[in-house]
Amino acid sequence: MGDQSICDGSLSADDFYVAAKSLCELWQSANTSLPNWTWIPFKRIPTGISCNEGYLSLENVFHVKSSKELVSSQDLFQEEQTVDSATVVQVPSSVIHAYDFHIIYSFSYRNPVLYFHGHKYDGQPLALDDIQEDLPEYSLKLIRESKWTFITFEEHPYLHQPWYMLHPCGTSEWMKLLIGGALHGNPYPANYLVSWLSVVGQAVGLRVPSSLTSSCFNDASSSSIGQCVELDPSL
Amino acid sequence: MAENRTWTVSSPPPPPPSSSSDSSSERQILRFIPFQSSADEGFWRRLSSLKLDTLGLDQSPIPITGEFFSFLSACFYAPCSHPQVPNPLKLMAESLPDDPLQLVIGNRNKCPVPGTLYNTNTLESFRALDKDALLKMEARKVKSLDFSIFDDIISGKADEDCAVLSRFLLISFADLKKWTFRHWFAFPALSLEPPATLVNIQPASKVFSSEEAKSLSRACNEWRNSNMTAGVPFFFIVIASNAQVTIRPLKDWEAFHGDGEKLLFGFYDPCNLPSNPGWPLRNFLAFICLRWKIENIQFLCYRERRGLADLELSLVGEAVVLLPQDWRSPCCVPKAVGWELKPKLMNLAASMDPKRLAVSAADLNLKLMRWRTLPSLDINILSSVKCLLLGAGTLGCQVARMLMAWGIRRITLLDSGRVAMSNPVRQSLYTFEDCLDGGELKAVAAAKSLKRIFPAVEAESINLAIPMPGHPVPAQEADNVLKDCELLQSLIASHDVVFLLTDTRESRWLPTLICANESKVAITAALGFDSYLVMRHGSGPRPVSSDMLDATCNASDKTGDVNAIATQMHKLSTKNEDRGQRLGCYFCNDVVAPIDSTSNRTLDQQCTVTRPGLAPIASSLAVELLVGILHHPKRINAPGEISSSIVGSSDRPLGILPHQIRGSLPQFSQLTLLGYSSKSCTACSDAVVSEFRRKGMEFVLQAINQPSYLEDLTGLTELMESVNSFRVDWDEDDSDANVDD
Repeated sequence: MGDQSICDGSLSADDFYVAAKSLCELWQSANTSLPNWTWIPFKRIPTGISCNEGYLSLENVFHVKSSKELVSSQDLFQEEQTVDSATVVQVPSSVIHAYDFHIIYSFSYRNPVLYFHGHKYDGQPLALDDIQEDLPEYSLKLIRESKWTFITFEEHPYLHQPWYMLHPCGTSEWMKLLIGGALHGNPYPANYLVSWLSVVGQAVGLRVPSSLTSSCFNDASSSSIGQCVELDPSL
Repeated sequence: MAENRTWTVSSPPPPPPSSSSDSSSERQILRFIPFQSSADEGFWRRLSSLKLDTLGLDQSPIPITGEFFSFLSACFYAPCSHPQVPNPLKLMAESLPDDPLQLVIGNRNKCPVPGTLYNTNTLESFRALDKDALLKMEARKVKSLDFSIFDDIISGKADEDCAVLSRFLLISFADLKKWTFRHWFAFPALSLEPPATLVNIQPASKVFSSEEAKSLSRACNEWRNSNMTAGVPFFFIVIASNAQVTIRPLKDWEAFHGDGEKLLFGFYDPCNLPSNPGWPLRNFLAFICLRWKIENIQFLCYRERRGLADLELSLVGEAVVLLPQDWRSPCCVPKAVGWELKPKLMNLAASMDPKRLAVSAADLNLKLMRWRTLPSLDINILSSVKCLLLGAGTLGCQVARMLMAWGIRRITLLDSGRVAMSNPVRQSLYTFEDCLDGGELKAVAAAKSLKRIFPAVEAESINLAIPMPGHPVPAQEADNVLKDCELLQSLIASHDVVFLLTDTRESRWLPTLICANESKVAITAALGFDSYLVMRHGSGPRPVSSDMLDATCNASDKTGDVNAIATQMHKLSTKNEDRGQRLGCYFCNDVVAPIDSTSNRTLDQQCTVTRPGLAPIASSLAVELLVGILHHPKRINAPGEISSSIVGSSDRPLGILPHQIRGSLPQFSQLTLLGYSSKSCTACSDAVVSEFRRKGMEFVLQAINQPSYLEDLTGLTELMESVNSFRVDWDEDDSDANVDD
């Protein structure tokens, strides 16, 4: 089964679990300021079959922007609370957005899918326009131009709330290229998610630490990861 | 109880020499950074569904007054893990468990603290809540059911469950029509008078030797990694003389016998700043002072990075706390502070309003189509085009549904009938209920049905019978019929596209004429028993200038002066030919004028009984044809194309844009055909349209009452044309001179 999956770029559910664990470990030891990925298990009603179902979660990725002009939320009430002498009154000097990323296995596409959402510090969810303002230029370019990045607003399969998602159709095709072209030093399926994330992460401004990608690929192919998506116009 | 025991402990390290005993006035007041609060979307969804569920019940859970419900819930926080960003106290969906008595389980990232939520039913009662009184209740209990910090400390409950020291309070008002949530947090803290003073505070790395630092980090990481202690936010730290560090829960204090070790009181600090501790320390200091009678307190603000203790970020400090006098009396009500400065408003309409979600889901299909295969799809034009559907029967219902599937949202349905018992199986917008009590008006029922399917559709209904030629009207009805004609004309003028989906041939005449006059996009679908026709009408004659119109009038007033009329007509035709030949309309192929069709059936006439598969096929083709027109640069003037056997013969992504499609079910075949406007057409020819322009509705009434009128009119044109051409021939060829006209 593993060989078949290498050929067509897809991933089985069990292999997803293996790949997820591998990503967690590699990420933890990598040099990055981002928090760690956690595996969140999901328990269905027991069917008697042992099943490692769950998803990967990366939460509280903060995006801090200093803002000279403070967007004051509408003053709902005139009165403010008085504080005692032992309380520090803080004036926020920066705008903080927090992002959460979940990697969830799609049984129908047989691929991982990236779900994400952002919210302001007090919990108010961010609209897609707000999120795109936070994204770096290379992400915006990828979203605008690439045939493979399409963001939709869909129900999260486990949390049952609408989250943004990178549409998974086409994933198998470019994963086939990516994995097929870089078999050297690439134990499948452990590094599937690292390869996959190194491509889709670019669309949402999530940079995979270079120590992860270089452990998976030789130098030549790691430099072409970002470009392979644009190389083949027939895809 | 606990407060009667006193314990001796080894004294904490002496204060640094620089601060003498009477230098308290030189010390700063210890100032704390308040919690940041965050209530995420999941929490509000959960609250909304709880509220919707309990509203139906008579008994409300733990009511305080009749004005609001209160819920026991939990917040979550964790030690700060980012140098720039403090960790907020978070409300999440798990904050409101199904069973309020159920233990809320946290993990290393989500340390649960208990609290109370008061949710009011109206905005007024939200504003009227007495916040001072609520805060006081948190400080010292009023009724037996309440929880309070002071009582938890003196009763020893805080020893066992120290998370109660960080309890919270939340008042909220949920507006479930607008999906907005007003809320106001409080983090009640016992206020010390006089306030605690700060001796010193500095990063933990500066205080410990490297041995101690290593041991402390290891002990902290163990504490954080163990399921038993990861969610325990307060503890004390013992540093032995051999630099071995152990962390102990608060309940171990009573049994603890000091032996000259250094002691630190540690807590998860959500704050990130280097010079002030976070809010949890306030109640912790009050606890230590009140419970254990310690006045010089060394504390550790525990903070971490990437899951490991970070002694650069963490702070160690020393504070001096004096027990307020009035706390010693058994019935004191200690002062408390803790309301956030301002209430907040959260707007979740975009993700919770089901109607909005329906719209974005419907748009998603179109966007996916555009993204994957049709980049030239113009979604804006589809959502802005306004369609008028004449007829809400088998064709009308299907066309309406198909329009919605393409993202077309502005639909007007016109029909004069009522839903009959035979309708629902074939007319896809109606159900059995619509037939009862004589039957709902079709147009109205259809519009309602569209809105049930997709609430964001702009569906209008018009109850109108289209006046038809060959069905003469009595004189007393003439005014009403005129009004109906005018209404129809204004409807057509105010829409972008007209679908002719009625069940008789003659009812299509007037709309065809009006559309030709205004060059409105008109699409006809007509069914035979087992065949169908779908076609788009061509444009109408170009509107003439007023001079031309006058000249034509003058010419026709002089009876017999046929030459003048012919010349004018000829000029009109020439003008039209500048744009290329106009495509034909539904009537262009007819030889006879539309008359009462009950006796004269042709292939194109609507039969009362047709094979059911035809209507959906024809309707779908009609809508696909419309989308093709909308995406063609020439729109109504787009030339008609015929399907060819050469695969991929069209450059355009949607394919060819035919003029007519005729299909046959017995053959399962379909043909594309092309026909041009006929000069004798009773609906769109120059003669008819110009008469209509000249005489308006009077002309229409005449046509309605005298069907031969149209024939005469168009017959006259043909005659004029042939006379004109006859004269030309006369000049060229003598032998034709004797031909009679």
